[in-house]
Amino acid sequence: MKVTVFGATGVVGRALVPLLGEHEVTAVSRTPRDDARARWVVADAATGDGVAEALEGADVVYYLVHSLGARDFEKQDRAAAETVARSAARAGVSQIVYLGGLGADDPDASPHLRSRRETGERLASAGVPVTTLRAAMIVGKGSAAFETILGLVKRLPVMITPSWVSTPTQPIALDDVARYLVGVCGNEAALGNGFDVGGPEVMTYRQMIERIARLLGRRPVILEVAVLTPYLSSLWLNLVTPINASVARPLVEGLRNPTVAREERIRELLPFELTPFDEAARQALA
Amino acid sequence: MKGWEATERVLESGGFESHQRVLIAEPVVEASEAGARFLGVTYWQAVDRFTRGGVRASWNEGGGKLRLLGGATLITFGPPQLTFDGALVSCRHEIRGGLLTLRAGGSVTLAQRPDGEQHELSVTVEEYLPRLAARVGAPWWTGALYAKGQSPFHAAVSRRYFDLLARGRST
Repeated sequence: MKVTVFGATGVVGRALVPLLGEHEVTAVSRTPRDDARARWVVADAATGDGVAEALEGADVVYYLVHSLGARDFEKQDRAAAETVARSAARAGVSQIVYLGGLGADDPDASPHLRSRRETGERLASAGVPVTTLRAAMIVGKGSAAFETILGLVKRLPVMITPSWVSTPTQPIALDDVARYLVGVCGNEAALGNGFDVGGPEVMTYRQMIERIARLLGRRPVILEVAVLTPYLSSLWLNLVTPINASVARPLVEGLRNPTVAREERIRELLPFELTPFDEAARQALA
Repeated sequence: MKGWEATERVLESGGFESHQRVLIAEPVVEASEAGARFLGVTYWQAVDRFTRGGVRASWNEGGGKLRLLGGATLITFGPPQLTFDGALVSCRHEIRGGLLTLRAGGSVTLAQRPDGEQHELSVTVEEYLPRLAARVGAPWWTGALYAKGQSPFHAAVSRRYFDLLARGRST
């Protein structure tokens, strides 16, 4: 099959492209790339430049794009998704595979999670069947959410955390997400369907911090306070972690929403043993 | 939401039993471990939302606790016991203590089960011994904090819970 990957240079895209070896892959980047594993095309979903060329002859499109960090990321995400959806319909694409967010269906979802949901809706708006995989934090090197937690653990012996550090989440290993993404490619049972893709363990962010700290041989003191706004948290994260405040803020706002799988149909469709959190974190730390 | 019912009674053991339920046309979770866990996760989310973050659940491997403004522990719970047997899906927590509990004992169960052509979502508290309730033989007003405060608060949280479940994605 001919497969086009938008967001091929991102954390998930880089893990996915090598696994698509049996397909003819067109990888999309906003700047020219040189990598023999795929045919690289320069295109920008936000402006529409090069999108039609990137989709020429494609059967399946992976949409791994987001505008997190932009001031109007919600608007940009909607526009980019619409552009790709319309172009995909014109190109006769038979499936769009989209990586969305767990918790995005929460009626009180944060702007970031709401944007993930709206992106999925816009992708489906032009009639191409969309397969949505909904994931919580992706545990892998370079994942913004994981790097934020890691930055905190590495730099702070004492953490003053917002109360929503007690929110439950279901992190999943980067390799497992990539396997699921490959597994739904051209899969009839996945066409037009959405799946929650949770990791094997549910934990709070506090437990996650403690487990990463253990792997690093640290024992941070965590103090929960009832009043610490997302804005203050993001400024603080900007100071002590490698994550920019404009990226950290929507992520922090999202911490208030539980990101736990509501169903596990994907495990029947694509059964394999999921990577335990500690193992995934070890790989990300290596 | 249809079929809202809220009942409460004192059992012979002295423990309280309360039950809130609504009826829905389609199940909101599937009969699986994930579905059962989600019933629990959403309940604690409802407590948080209803109190605007004033009361929150925090968890570790051994169980959880409801805390007021991140401080006082109101009620402590055991870890979730998940059931997904045929069409019954439930998440049960033992009640283990806390300021609002006279003695450890009882449980809270969040469940979804078929009810004729429809499905029932329910919150059931069984054998709970509230510290704020009137003791046997004591004047009624000694239990006013429970009867006029904690009990209606619990019912209101249940309503919010059903609303959160019903407004989210259905399976």
